[in-house]
Amino acid sequence: MKTASSDGIYDVIIIGGGATGAGTARDCALRGLKVLLIERHDIATGATGRNHGLLHSGARYAVTDTESARECISENMILKKIARHCVERTDGLFLTLPEDDLGYQDKFVQACRASGIEAEILDPEEALRMEPSANPDIIGAVKVPDGSVDPFRLTSANVIDAKLHGAQILVYNEVTDFIFDKDRIVGVKVLDHVTGEKSCRYGDVIVNAAGIWGAGIAEKAGTKINMFPAKGSLLIFGHRVNNVVLNRCRKPANADILVPGDTICVIGTTSDRVPYDQIDDMRVTPEEVDILLSEGQKLAPCLASTRIIRAYAGVRPLVAVDDDPSGRNISRGIVLLDHETRDGIKGFISITGGKLMTYRLMAELATDLVCKKLGVTAKCVTAEVPLPGSKNESPEEISDKLSSVYANPMRASAGRHGDMASSISHGNEYDLSLVCECEDVSLGEVEYALENLDVNNLVDLRRRTRVGMGTCQGELCACRAAGLLANTKKCVADAKADLRRFMNERWKGMYPVSWGETLRENEYTLWVYAGVCGMNGHASSKTEKEAENEI
Amino acid sequence: MRYDTIIIGGGLSGLVCGIRLQKAGQKCCIVSSGQSALHFSSGCFDFLDRLEDGTVPGNLAECLVSLPESHPYSKIGAETAKKYMGEVPEFFAGCGVRLCGNPYRNSYRMTPMGDMCPTWLSLEDFPLAGEPDAKVADRALVVNIFGYLDFNTAFVADALERNGTVCRVISVRIDEMERLRMNPSEMRATNIARVMDRPEVCGKFIAAVSEELRGEDTIILPAVFGLASDEVLPKIRSSFSADVRFVATMPPSVPGIRTQMKLRKAFEHAGGVYLLGDTVNGAEMSGDKVLSISTSNFGDYRLHADNYVLASGSFFSKGLVAVPDKIYEPVFGLDVDYAGDRKEWYDTDLFSPQNYISFGVATSRDFRPFKDGKPVSNLYAVGSVLSGTNALNEGSGAGTAILTAFRTADLILGRVDSSKAGQSLK
Repeated sequence: MKTASSDGIYDVIIIGGGATGAGTARDCALRGLKVLLIERHDIATGATGRNHGLLHSGARYAVTDTESARECISENMILKKIARHCVERTDGLFLTLPEDDLGYQDKFVQACRASGIEAEILDPEEALRMEPSANPDIIGAVKVPDGSVDPFRLTSANVIDAKLHGAQILVYNEVTDFIFDKDRIVGVKVLDHVTGEKSCRYGDVIVNAAGIWGAGIAEKAGTKINMFPAKGSLLIFGHRVNNVVLNRCRKPANADILVPGDTICVIGTTSDRVPYDQIDDMRVTPEEVDILLSEGQKLAPCLASTRIIRAYAGVRPLVAVDDDPSGRNISRGIVLLDHETRDGIKGFISITGGKLMTYRLMAELATDLVCKKLGVTAKCVTAEVPLPGSKNESPEEISDKLSSVYANPMRASAGRHGDMASSISHGNEYDLSLVCECEDVSLGEVEYALENLDVNNLVDLRRRTRVGMGTCQGELCACRAAGLLANTKKCVADAKADLRRFMNERWKGMYPVSWGETLRENEYTLWVYAGVCGMNGHASSKTEKEAENEI
Repeated sequence: MRYDTIIIGGGLSGLVCGIRLQKAGQKCCIVSSGQSALHFSSGCFDFLDRLEDGTVPGNLAECLVSLPESHPYSKIGAETAKKYMGEVPEFFAGCGVRLCGNPYRNSYRMTPMGDMCPTWLSLEDFPLAGEPDAKVADRALVVNIFGYLDFNTAFVADALERNGTVCRVISVRIDEMERLRMNPSEMRATNIARVMDRPEVCGKFIAAVSEELRGEDTIILPAVFGLASDEVLPKIRSSFSADVRFVATMPPSVPGIRTQMKLRKAFEHAGGVYLLGDTVNGAEMSGDKVLSISTSNFGDYRLHADNYVLASGSFFSKGLVAVPDKIYEPVFGLDVDYAGDRKEWYDTDLFSPQNYISFGVATSRDFRPFKDGKPVSNLYAVGSVLSGTNALNEGSGAGTAILTAFRTADLILGRVDSSKAGQSLK
């Protein structure tokens, strides 16, 4: 079985390409380890890419979970330094509505301050001046240092830096089994979903960073992590109605956070326990949509008349500690398991629990344990060393430097790639042709992503560049991007099949909210793709459908 | 202002209905809020591309009797529908729009993906094939305009090569086109067509392509020629020894917009009034009759007519409006056929039949819509605002638009006994 050449043996193999896995790969690589990261889909496809994109100040957890609150504010300040191009300093407001208990506000402010989170009580009028979209009926408001973070950019930047430091990244590769040598795990069996090839990869330490899927990984290793899958649904609106994160000042509940991000805003979440066998097929129900809409309007009444772009859902990787069915009263704390001491399995650790906000800290803790096992003494530097994209100038400075007559696509790509945007070719008019009008994605940026950012298909391309993420959800840009993909991959049949998958993946988020403008948009899309392009009629096979569901 | 007939909606159905009425001596007004489905047309008219079991009907007239009674074609009646099908090419020729194809049979068109799809009649840009796997050429030169992203040469060439055509792909750079790039979103079909309409630019393009020809028997071009000018298409066709074929692009559709402009011109030439950029926002009713309508631009000044035709399209054109708990018709508040449960509106697979496309206003057999369960006596509904057909899935959008427009015009003109409408069906 051991066919791998010298490059098949690693110090550490990380399973999972979410923020935690990517962060761990970066940390390990920066400490000089030989790293392999294995992800069964694309990077940032699990819970990493399916949340609010909220740069928590920790205030939300201040009353109920001090430990999480402290971790959040500390990581909040670190990310503002090391990932400038991924975060936006918006600040946040915790609003008290007439139906809420104003008495909670004092408790909240004290708890914030005890955890080191700046919390300033504002007069309702002042709060409304700061955020005019907020419900004018508020009876109280507290300002905290919340912000927003783009999880795709953040994960991508970690992957890029890991690769710059020698890590190898395998996307669309799934760990099917572990390779044991007595009581020690020495490697993994891997299935390449693109080529269908199977291989073995060997490493001294294996890190399970697979989020909710980590329970399945642990099972393959012969142990059990009692995970608690809690589904959270969210809605994206087509306008950025608020510039400040809006929260409800009460015990955490459904749909009580509205986060602005780029040109949109996101309301969420719901929280429902789901069976483990459904975690690959998260669909938003009409009932969840109705809850999100009615609660969201209490934060910002104008949401009632704002176009909804899509609905999506993620699964929180919570580790069960009690039987609370709502999934809210358990700590969002970080869980690091050394399976050698816990289960007698050497060479295997799991890093789970936690949240997007604490991915870096989770990576640091996991890497510390890996280093301890390997006898490596290098210290963690990820809290100080900026990520690629934030190393030099700020996105604003970059876009000023790059801008000429064609300002918009330049600014947009600088916003997305930070100081890496200078590698994007905008040398001639051809490179500046727009592929995606909604998001100002130029042909040069698409080609940069296709060549440099491990893009296998159109959905991957969307995560790197925002192609197809705008108001029209891929109406024209999908077809253009498919043409460019066909040229790069030299395979037209694949590009056409991929276009179909991409359009279906967009629809998955649209049908739960298919009325009003969203339905109009879809009718137009259908007349273009099913009508003019003739893509209707051939219903996808069952296996194809299942593959689409996993995206 | 008083008219014989006011038509709400200036797309294919509204214009065809208006032209037929106006040419028969009526005084008509069309209120159009703007663009129509012709603006993203494939350049071909579909009549019935697929039966429910997915098969492509060859003889269209014969399969009409198998359609359900609620289908607009069934309401017209098979014999009348067949008569109308035969009239279509001449009707459009009379408006300056030349159609190709057999009005009683399905042919095949090439899609922007390069695939062959069934269709009925095509605009002159697009020659039709009798069989889906017909070989288009022995050797083809596939030509794009440099920087134009809405014509996928790789897709087209790949499909042609699968049927045995040897392809060479080139892109041609024309200086005048480069000016469009001063704004990076300007390389779109209509903008290119506008520049190509200038004889000197078109001449340059022809010269550039001629220089590249290496004995190919066919030239494949994106359909971005001849927007306002009638000379461009014939000139391109006659300038090469090779055959010239056009392939539909992603929207906007140059042939579709040209057709829209020609139909509007024909309507106005016949004396019709076309109010562009106005929206009907209300109606005054008395009993089972419409008395007048109001529009955004005219405000309190109401428009009156003996008869009214609702040709307002479906959701995209705002002829129908969907809100979370219902679907309604916004002008008259007509009865709409739709599923009450929102989950029944859609299929989770995008390319499977979507129920909502078949939703529309309910009508009697003579296309009189119902309001509160009773037919409105001087109002008719035509085209995609109608229920009874999933126009996208069965490929019947243009056929339904044209035939229901013919039928309604004839009903208004008293050319048919409306009490016998649809009686000839079985």
